[in-house]
Amino acid sequence: MGAFLALGLFQGAVYGLLAVGIVLVYKAKRVFNFAQGEFGGVAAFTAYAIVVGTGLPYWAGVLGGLAAAVATGLIVERAIVRPLESSSRTIMLVALVGVALFTIAIIVLVGQPIPRVMPPLVDGGGVNILGAGILPQQLILMAVLAVLAAAMAWFFKTDLGLAVLASSQDTRAAQVVGISPIAVSRLVWGMAALLGGIAGLLYAPVGIFTPGFMTLTMLVPAFAAAVLGGMTSLPGAFIGGLAIGVVQNLGIYYLGQQLKVPGAAELGVFALLMLVLLIRPQGLLGGAN
Amino acid sequence: MATATMVLTRVKVQRRFGLALRVTAVIALLALAALPLLLGGDVWAQRISRAAIYAVIGLSINTLTGHAGQISLGHQAFVGIGAFAAAFTASRLGAPLGFGLAAAAAAGALTAAVIGLVALRVTGLYLALVTLAFGLTAETTIFNWREFTGGGAGALAPRPTLLASDHAFALLCLGVLALVLYLDWRLVSTKTGRALTALRNNERIAATLGVNTTGYKLAAFSLSGLIAGLAGGLFAHWNQIVQAMDFEFQVALVWVLMTVVGGLRSRLGVILASALFALLPLTLPNFLSSLPWQPPFLNEAVYHVLPPFIVVVMLLIVLRCFPGGFGQLLRPATRWLSTGSARTPRTGTGGRT
Amino acid sequence: MKRRHMLKVDRLMLRFGGLQVLDGLSLTVREGQIVGLIGPNGAGKTSCFNCLTGIYQPQSGTVHFDGRDVSHLPTHRRARLGMARTWQNLGVIDTLTVTENVMLAGHQRTGYAALAGMLGLPGTWHRERELQRDAAEIIEYFGLDAVAHERTGELPYGIRKTCDMAMALATDPKMLLLDEPASGLSPEEALGLATTLRELRDRLKLTILMIEHHVPLVAEACDHVYVLNFGQLLTEGPPADIQRHPEVIAAYLGGTAAETPEPPEWPLKPEGADHGTA
Repeated sequence: MGAFLALGLFQGAVYGLLAVGIVLVYKAKRVFNFAQGEFGGVAAFTAYAIVVGTGLPYWAGVLGGLAAAVATGLIVERAIVRPLESSSRTIMLVALVGVALFTIAIIVLVGQPIPRVMPPLVDGGGVNILGAGILPQQLILMAVLAVLAAAMAWFFKTDLGLAVLASSQDTRAAQVVGISPIAVSRLVWGMAALLGGIAGLLYAPVGIFTPGFMTLTMLVPAFAAAVLGGMTSLPGAFIGGLAIGVVQNLGIYYLGQQLKVPGAAELGVFALLMLVLLIRPQGLLGGAN
Repeated sequence: MATATMVLTRVKVQRRFGLALRVTAVIALLALAALPLLLGGDVWAQRISRAAIYAVIGLSINTLTGHAGQISLGHQAFVGIGAFAAAFTASRLGAPLGFGLAAAAAAGALTAAVIGLVALRVTGLYLALVTLAFGLTAETTIFNWREFTGGGAGALAPRPTLLASDHAFALLCLGVLALVLYLDWRLVSTKTGRALTALRNNERIAATLGVNTTGYKLAAFSLSGLIAGLAGGLFAHWNQIVQAMDFEFQVALVWVLMTVVGGLRSRLGVILASALFALLPLTLPNFLSSLPWQPPFLNEAVYHVLPPFIVVVMLLIVLRCFPGGFGQLLRPATRWLSTGSARTPRTGTGGRT
Repeated sequence: MKRRHMLKVDRLMLRFGGLQVLDGLSLTVREGQIVGLIGPNGAGKTSCFNCLTGIYQPQSGTVHFDGRDVSHLPTHRRARLGMARTWQNLGVIDTLTVTENVMLAGHQRTGYAALAGMLGLPGTWHRERELQRDAAEIIEYFGLDAVAHERTGELPYGIRKTCDMAMALATDPKMLLLDEPASGLSPEEALGLATTLRELRDRLKLTILMIEHHVPLVAEACDHVYVLNFGQLLTEGPPADIQRHPEVIAAYLGGTAAETPEPPEWPLKPEGADHGTA
């Protein structure tokens, strides 16, 4: 029981990290970014190719991975998001779903659909927390998540962050006061891709990873986390991520292990998502923002 | 006076000739489409069944997204539930195929109606998220319920002797497709079509004109689920075994992309795109590996992951260059076939100008 | 002679967050009357319409329509009882043609079930043709024949506005709620509208409640006028009295009656906040 709680918290940290990126894009562009997970996928595979494939040092892999993620983000912004700016949000959503599938297809084409193991950032055995073996990698992940969520929350208080928000509210007004909407768009997608890249790099070494690993298992819980946090709150996304992780693992514990319900983790996330949307659509931490 | 009569006669003759030409063209196209079924043997009969099933799924998504303007990223749940319901009815209850298909349709409609209830409260992007999460949950929970679906081993869905041959089954699939096409055509040409168009554009205006927006939204979900369940039932008997892994959530995403590529609200476009997406994974790898020259970096394994890649490239091209999808590209042709004039007609619903 | 009430609104209260949009509004429209609802921008006129048609649910107050309490009926049920409305930014569906729009407005009179139509049951084909004929008749009355098969989205504003009116009539209403029917019309056309409205009222036995800024039209067409300000009733009476009412002039113009030799056209700016379609 305690072990499930601990596992849930650390699993939730990854959801939180993805959710922070999702919230960033939503706050700035009012778009659900279904490609967020694949920024992590690109980063993880690039880093793997550099570290395991060419034998370069780990930091080179990390830098390469993040650079690849950011490049992907900027390409998506230029090639998909900006040309479709004026179309409906549903079309934008379908396009971003397309981007996610496209990226997975590219990764499969280039890298073959085989499972891989990424060496962790820090070697060493697990730490026992509440009876669960937690890897040092996961501790780092949790710390990075906390720092990034705080940094993002701070970012939206700076002049630049306020400019991003202003341009999301009213593009023309923002233009009048000298904010280029194109620059803002690039900035937002670059940052979102960076966050996704970090999530992918930190999560890949926790287990075995395959093409699409970030989208197939992580994306829906991450969105649930963002919704739980109210979709516009960065601390909300952080806490929502942890909550989703815990609920998922409690679901596995109670439903899966005790009642033998298949797919207990997904069921838990779905139930929580429905509960939030039907009872408190503004999220647990969402306010008038 | 006489000249006027002559001109009139000539116009009439021209019109009759044009009509005959158009009818011939339609028949020729249908015959061309039927060729693989007649000459292609069992392999092509199977492929045509699959294409027809995909087309039914595409029309189901078109009902919801195209007509009612609601998005579903979890359509594999409706199709899957239909498939398992049909398999359950066939193998556990031993009921005839008709009952199985009816059960599949009912199961799909019921599930979709429940999601429709959610859609009354949750709209837009959030609805997309809910349906996505629902599809995922259905995939891992319902489809792995041993008592209902046979767990990982899958559920058997044997065909009755009458439909045992692939050709007979292909005819059944085409028959169902024709039925769904008819429903869609009548839907669009009667009050339901107008009500859904109003609903899609502006719910408040629709309501003040007397349209029961709640009812129509639920009806659209149920109908879409019904058609999806029916397609699922056909799929079960096509494959003769149903497994949870047939309904992974990427599948639903690809279906949505395929409907958009075909062109929302374009029956022909949706059918063509669906058929293409259904056949690509079956035909493309064989075709590429039979080429005399093999590109050095491509191999058998890569050919199998090419189709989704092509699908997405097509989607991105469609969204950027012709948002109306195949339907938009085909419009001059379909317009000529239906009215005899390739240019934009002044007639909207078929009234005379 | 006192005719019976067609519409009776009693103490409507509507709040959005901290904003009191309607503050105890009561008004009565008798059968066969043409009643004006005027007031400065933001006075709550369109919000009032939205409460009458059931798009907004007021916090308290009742709406009686044709002798029935409709306060808790959904919008489409009120429409079926005979309440039709036009919209400030037009109630036409842009992707449909004019004919299709008018047929859409005939939704509640189709006389067949949605399912029957989808299955293509025998009666429905015939009924569709009849609906088309009815629509053609209405379209002809409004002089829209030339554009009957054009998509409304591609037509100029004035024509779309006429189409909106045609749609309201195609619902076969007992009462019309018109939201600024004269906006976008020239002063002469606006005055002509007064004749049209009276003719419609007499021919179709309609009751009309309209929001309008155009004073000559209100003066010409209306039997009775309600003036709204800050969600409350400022005053009411026959149009001639209202035009001279000092408080009305103050609320609209911030000036005095002496300075205005001729009733001016009041600002035609739309009240965007009151009526969003999103």
